[in-house]
Amino acid sequence: MEPFSGVTVRQAGADDAVGGVQPRWVALPETVEEVSAVLRDCAERDLAVVPAGGGTKLHWGLPPERCDVLLDMCCMNAVLEHAAGDLVVRAQAGVTMDALAGVLAEKGQELALDPPFAEHTTVGGTLATAAAGPRSFRYGTARDLLIGITVVLPDGTIARSGGKVVKNVAGYDLGKLFTGSQGTLGVIAEATFRLHPLPAESRWVVAPLPSGDALARVTASQAEPSAVEIDCPGGAEGADATVAVLVEGSAAEARALELREVLGDGTITAERPEWWGLILRDDVLLELRFPPARALEALAAAGEAGFAFRGSAATGRAYLEGSEEELAAVTGLRARVEALGGRLHVLAAPETGVDRWGQVSGLPLMRRVKERFDPGRRMSPGRFVGGI
Amino acid sequence: MLETLTAALRSLLPHDAVITDPVRLRTYECDGLTYHRATPGVVVLPDTAEQVARVVRVCNDFGVPFVARGSGTGLSGGALPREDGVLIVTSKMRRILEIDLANRRAVVEPGVTNLAITEAVRDRGHYYAPDPSSQQVCSIGGNVAENSGGAHCLKYGFTVNHVEACEIVTPDGDLVTLDRMDPGYDLLGAFIGSEGTLGIATKITVRLCRTPEAVTTVLAAFESIEQGGQAVSAIIGAGIVPAAIEMMDALAIEAAEAAVACAYPKGAGAVLIVELDGPSAEVERQFAQLEEICSDAFELRVAASAEERAAIWKGRKSAFAAVGRISPAYIVQDGVVPRTSLPGVLAAIDRLSEEHGIRVANVFHAGDGNLHPLVLFDDAEEGAGERAEVVSGAILDLCIENGGSITGEHGVGVDKSRYMPKMFSADDLDTMQLVRCAFDPRGLSNPGKVFPTPRLCGEVPGVRKGVHPLVESGKAEQF
Amino acid sequence: MDPELINDCVHCGFCLPTCPTYVLWGEEMDSPRGRIHLMKQHVEGTPITPEMAGHFDACLGCMACVTACPSGVRYDRLIEQTRVAVERRHEREPQERAVRGIVFALFPYPRRLRLLRPTMWLAERMAPFLAKAHPSLGAMAALAPRVEHRQRLPRLVRARGGRRAVVGMLTGCVQGEFFPQVNAATARVLALEGCDVVIPPGQGCCGALSVHSGRDDQARRLARRTVRTFERAGVDTVVVNAAGCGSSMKEYGELLGREPGFRVVDLSEYLAELGPAAKRHPLPVTVAYHDACHLAHAQGVRAQPRELLRGIPGLEVREIPESAICCGSAGTYNMFQPQAARDLGDRKAAAVATTGAELLVSANPGCTMQIAAATRRAGSEIRVAHVAEVLDASLRGVRLSERSERPNKHGSVLTGPTEEGQ
Repeated sequence: MEPFSGVTVRQAGADDAVGGVQPRWVALPETVEEVSAVLRDCAERDLAVVPAGGGTKLHWGLPPERCDVLLDMCCMNAVLEHAAGDLVVRAQAGVTMDALAGVLAEKGQELALDPPFAEHTTVGGTLATAAAGPRSFRYGTARDLLIGITVVLPDGTIARSGGKVVKNVAGYDLGKLFTGSQGTLGVIAEATFRLHPLPAESRWVVAPLPSGDALARVTASQAEPSAVEIDCPGGAEGADATVAVLVEGSAAEARALELREVLGDGTITAERPEWWGLILRDDVLLELRFPPARALEALAAAGEAGFAFRGSAATGRAYLEGSEEELAAVTGLRARVEALGGRLHVLAAPETGVDRWGQVSGLPLMRRVKERFDPGRRMSPGRFVGGI
Repeated sequence: MLETLTAALRSLLPHDAVITDPVRLRTYECDGLTYHRATPGVVVLPDTAEQVARVVRVCNDFGVPFVARGSGTGLSGGALPREDGVLIVTSKMRRILEIDLANRRAVVEPGVTNLAITEAVRDRGHYYAPDPSSQQVCSIGGNVAENSGGAHCLKYGFTVNHVEACEIVTPDGDLVTLDRMDPGYDLLGAFIGSEGTLGIATKITVRLCRTPEAVTTVLAAFESIEQGGQAVSAIIGAGIVPAAIEMMDALAIEAAEAAVACAYPKGAGAVLIVELDGPSAEVERQFAQLEEICSDAFELRVAASAEERAAIWKGRKSAFAAVGRISPAYIVQDGVVPRTSLPGVLAAIDRLSEEHGIRVANVFHAGDGNLHPLVLFDDAEEGAGERAEVVSGAILDLCIENGGSITGEHGVGVDKSRYMPKMFSADDLDTMQLVRCAFDPRGLSNPGKVFPTPRLCGEVPGVRKGVHPLVESGKAEQF
Repeated sequence: MDPELINDCVHCGFCLPTCPTYVLWGEEMDSPRGRIHLMKQHVEGTPITPEMAGHFDACLGCMACVTACPSGVRYDRLIEQTRVAVERRHEREPQERAVRGIVFALFPYPRRLRLLRPTMWLAERMAPFLAKAHPSLGAMAALAPRVEHRQRLPRLVRARGGRRAVVGMLTGCVQGEFFPQVNAATARVLALEGCDVVIPPGQGCCGALSVHSGRDDQARRLARRTVRTFERAGVDTVVVNAAGCGSSMKEYGELLGREPGFRVVDLSEYLAELGPAAKRHPLPVTVAYHDACHLAHAQGVRAQPRELLRGIPGLEVREIPESAICCGSAGTYNMFQPQAARDLGDRKAAAVATTGAELLVSANPGCTMQIAAATRRAGSEIRVAHVAEVLDASLRGVRLSERSERPNKHGSVLTGPTEEGQ
């Protein structure tokens, strides 16, 4: 069957369900124009659309209110332009992060994001979920490295913002708006990023969890770590917690020694710890934000609520992994975290009616943005904060 | 109408916070771009966020537009007042509310100057990274509106990368906090750089950076711009990300010399200021590489002290205003090209300059391709101003042709809105308008800036109620 | 007001954060950029309104904006021209006129000031009553220093050791009458450093107060007399220890249309140039050095006084935050704009307090009076001294005289090793 003009479409199966909602079709566009054509047709026929990349985080968020078409971006997998001299790359949304890294490495460069599931996750998926990795302490998150974007709105309009130069303040930054929008405003079709040279060397200092004071001094050290990660697979009080500090650039070994001094213990290795930047279980997955100086308290609170903790002591952002049992503890944990000046929200969980997001000051404005971009509520409806 | 509005404002604010005296009002007629002027209807100088919100609500009650202004140093006319509106000046809101070094944060009011933040934390080993040339005077609220950069944004990024949260007054007068920690849309990212069209920042939480262990500032003098340009490419090619790479050509050097006696090497066709910072061991290695790369330079100076470093920067940071010493009038342009297109674009600017008999001094952030051509002319000479305008405009065309941008840091404001359709399609601009309409459906917040044609938002969901008179007369479009 | 000079301003705003009134009030009209805009409005035909005159009057004339300006705008000249225009064309309120009358009939004339001296002890007690009559009168009284015994300076103080130079010395009006010990110290320091110091008798005011207030006729008259006095004395260098006087005297050429036959230098500028010859004895004291506007901004003399102070063994110089911002004294400003002057004084006193220094040193008596008064308002005390007094103590190997807001009375002018017969 050919419901959309000239675009490859297949009938959806049970495997294509999004949060238990099975779409009728899966569209496989190959160009921005094809994305636009599909969305235009959907608009005319009032069909609801959920865009998908590598599918690694498709079960995150609430199930869509409805889903007629799954827009699978897998075929938009070209790296369009790598201007090495300008440290810029432009890629289609369906390129996987690993594939992109391979292309960039040929010229000694990288996109300094290290999102989870890098093997399968795509450029579009990384942007849409704003999933951050350990090195965001040094390089920022996806929104900080994105310099240009092409999106397709629910009515099929193709719009760009930004460009292919790093420094650019012309017009609104739609890239920021779409980063982390969870597919609810439109479809991210192409993206342009600023790049960094691959670091000359990398060293990790791996040590048992030190005191809060040592942690603070490592983070603020003039040896300039790129990441300070804590892994605590389970158990209260962080008894089995490990810290790993990454140093990149020239003289990494000497700087790592300096940092080990501060930690008072630890081994220095050129191999990343096996848990580095990973999400291991995401049936029940929470994102914890906290002021960096409260890292140990946040860790303890998460541990007492039964969650495994993995994330950055430097940026104050961690993933909490658990199972359905712990979900009941979310409200209590949130109260504790908010008292620390932090936030807690549920990224992924079976639908149990738990409040996933807590209080969000900007929600009324967010609703207005959603209304303007998607007045028909056809883009991933109901999946995001406040049921947007 | 303004009279009743003024009476309403007076009932809300302290007496001396409402300015209506015509002579006083006129001192607010322009910001750092003097080419565009308009005497504001009323000026208010609120002291608190709550007062800002009250003023905005009154503007809504009367359907009167409002414009926010910080220190009035913007170079695109972003704070150009409205004769029929209220100018909300944040220069009395300049308290540093909180410094939290443990979490590397400071919370400040919008009128605090950029440099004041660094000065407040410098002796405790921290600083605020974005450093526009006007940092001693420009306000952080203005920086947020313009998403200001500065010489060091090559490595450290812009305002948007260093702001963690903003309390804003929305265009309809609500106080809302946009925080990077909150889930949901990145409205903070959209707000920063929106040039006052999405509301007014009233409290800003900025990220503080740790002072680097080592800073090495190098001044390299080259015989020509080409040689300097090659050095820039070689630095980037070597995998070095300096904190800053700045370039000035002979004419700009002459001006800086006249203004601040910066004592750059004599006879230089171009000087390059390269600043390396970070851990000592890393900076040392990069400096060794840099020395090799700059072997073409006829003089290489390394700042040995903070004073020498400041002396090297002084020439660069005062370059814009300094041009006043060598030319009666000038236009400061701000455009961006991909770094690799720099040599070609500079050559093309040279040709334009010759063709029109207009001198152009070049100052630029070479590391990120951000050009600041200073188009010099004598306003006493018949037609010179027009010719300078032509050259200035043609430079922006060059930037667009080369895949760049019409503004790297000064903003679109009122000055460049007419170039927006050259850089963006109608669909792009309409999509940006969706954001505008979400925040400011009545179009009261700094109208006439950024976008070329006034557009009306219409109701949601898209039911049109007859034809608006502006649309009918062709002055506006509806979408 | 010269339109050419006005047009030099490119409206960049770099002057704003250095302007004391902008720092206080944050209003464009009370910033240099705003005042230049007002001047422009006037030049383009707007008459001087009371509002406009108020903003010009509120300018302290500290010239910090001149230092900050990258475009080289001559705000110093512009504001002087503007003040002349305001004086000529603007009708002030009667009460304001009366106060200005008193000040300008009094301060530039040492003899009249001398008559006032016996009443000074009363002034402090009278201040609250005077303030009720007019805030300016109260301010004038509150600032009044307790005065030391009048000290007659000899016409010539001979160099100690080998003679290295011959210089003239300005005694000034306020300095000479209210702070005679500073003049004495200046003469001793110069002599100890190998200068014959020529001090012509019958010197009057140099004209600075009048220049800074737009009274250009009076200014020219006083300037001419000062030039004549020193030309007759036959010196080619005149050393000045009061910053406000020095800056005005350096501009005599512009005021009078001809350069005087001598060079004007500030004491610290001159001593730094001359180089140290005399032995410095240790003075174990922490010093906060305050940049007087008319020294730092108007004359560009910043490094030299610090250098001289640092050259004293055991003395530690501490920098005052916001050092470029005026203390609010600014010549006659604290008399005409008492509230602003008071706010700025408080701000400066707080900044000085953060240094924790024991002694506040400046090259201008007005500044030290102002800051000491503010410090006292804040419920504390700080010792004050002129650069000359500190050097004097070190050169002579004596303790610094105990002078705070209430100076002790101490011996005659040239006690100690430099005393010279007349």
